[in-house]
Amino acid sequence: MNKWILALSMLLLCMSSWLAYAKEYKLILKDHLFYPAEITVPANKKLRLVIENQDDTPEEFDSFDLNREKVLYPGRTSVIYIGPLSPGRYDFFGEFSPNTARGTVVATEVNDADN
Amino acid sequence: MLITSLLMSINQLLPVVILAVLLSLIVPLSQRQLSIYAVIGTLMSLVFVQAAAWVSQLFDHRGLEFIQMLLCIMIFVAALMSCQQRKMAAALALIATMTLYLSHYMIYLVSFWHSKDTAEPLILGTCLGVGICISFGVLLFFLLESIVRRAGVQPLVVLLAFNATAKLLIFLDLASQVDLLDVTSNYLDWRGFLVENSELGRVLKALVGYEATPSKTALWVYVIAAVVFIALARVLKIKKTEEPVCGS
Repeated sequence: MNKWILALSMLLLCMSSWLAYAKEYKLILKDHLFYPAEITVPANKKLRLVIENQDDTPEEFDSFDLNREKVLYPGRTSVIYIGPLSPGRYDFFGEFSPNTARGTVVATEVNDADN
Repeated sequence: MLITSLLMSINQLLPVVILAVLLSLIVPLSQRQLSIYAVIGTLMSLVFVQAAAWVSQLFDHRGLEFIQMLLCIMIFVAALMSCQQRKMAAALALIATMTLYLSHYMIYLVSFWHSKDTAEPLILGTCLGVGICISFGVLLFFLLESIVRRAGVQPLVVLLAFNATAKLLIFLDLASQVDLLDVTSNYLDWRGFLVENSELGRVLKALVGYEATPSKTALWVYVIAAVVFIALARVLKIKKTEEPVCGS
């Protein structure tokens, strides 16, 4: 049993270091609004969105354009990997508060991206 | 809030209703059995909701996706085994689907339940959503039942194959979301043809897993998995259902 736990831990450790190269972007959810509402990212690169829900209610990060869906629990941090994206605009929204919690990922060519 | 509750309830309930209808016609399930599975599925969803916040922080914030990916695989395999008219497999597929979808809606319900401003539209939207899903389920049941009478159970197995394979697309999206697989490049864009958040788009998504912007990998996986499902269902020798038990 211990061998299995050790093997699983090693696998996850290796996986974490393998995943570490994705550039990180932080989003904050507060008062049912995403901050920043628009993030500019480099096109054709893998990205790691770190989303912190500072509200006292859950929210669901949803995007038809990015094919992503994840519940953001209150006071917790969530991670979503996106990309590589072609240049363009990709909308996302909070499914529980779709009128207010809205945002856009703007993928631009690397030279123009706001890094 | 009313519209959000309505859309949320339809999005989360419709896949469950569709699978229940399909399984009740392919596997002879009685209404009593369906009711028992529904209760167990609801309880499992509640357990999932209770543990989800904690699970979400495991494995570098990817715990929730791992559980959901496991549920998707379980649904696909259990749906396939259901073609042999195994009631336990049908029960497993239904309970796993309920856990996957209803837990989302329960999180939403629990979060906004306590506020006076939101409770009323929440209940109203949920009632409307449940009503629409049940109506759709009843119509689908009679439509599929007439197909079974005319053409046998095989068309339903094909529909079940597409429905179950759609869960593999969710698996792929989740795997991509936690960066286990890279399936995001080479997107196809069918948004000009049909957007996912339209009425028809939502129904097709729940029925056969329609995506307006699928990756080419997802498309290949969908086609191959559906063909494998149908072929394996034939190999497993589907017993013909003469009279569906449910509703009789």
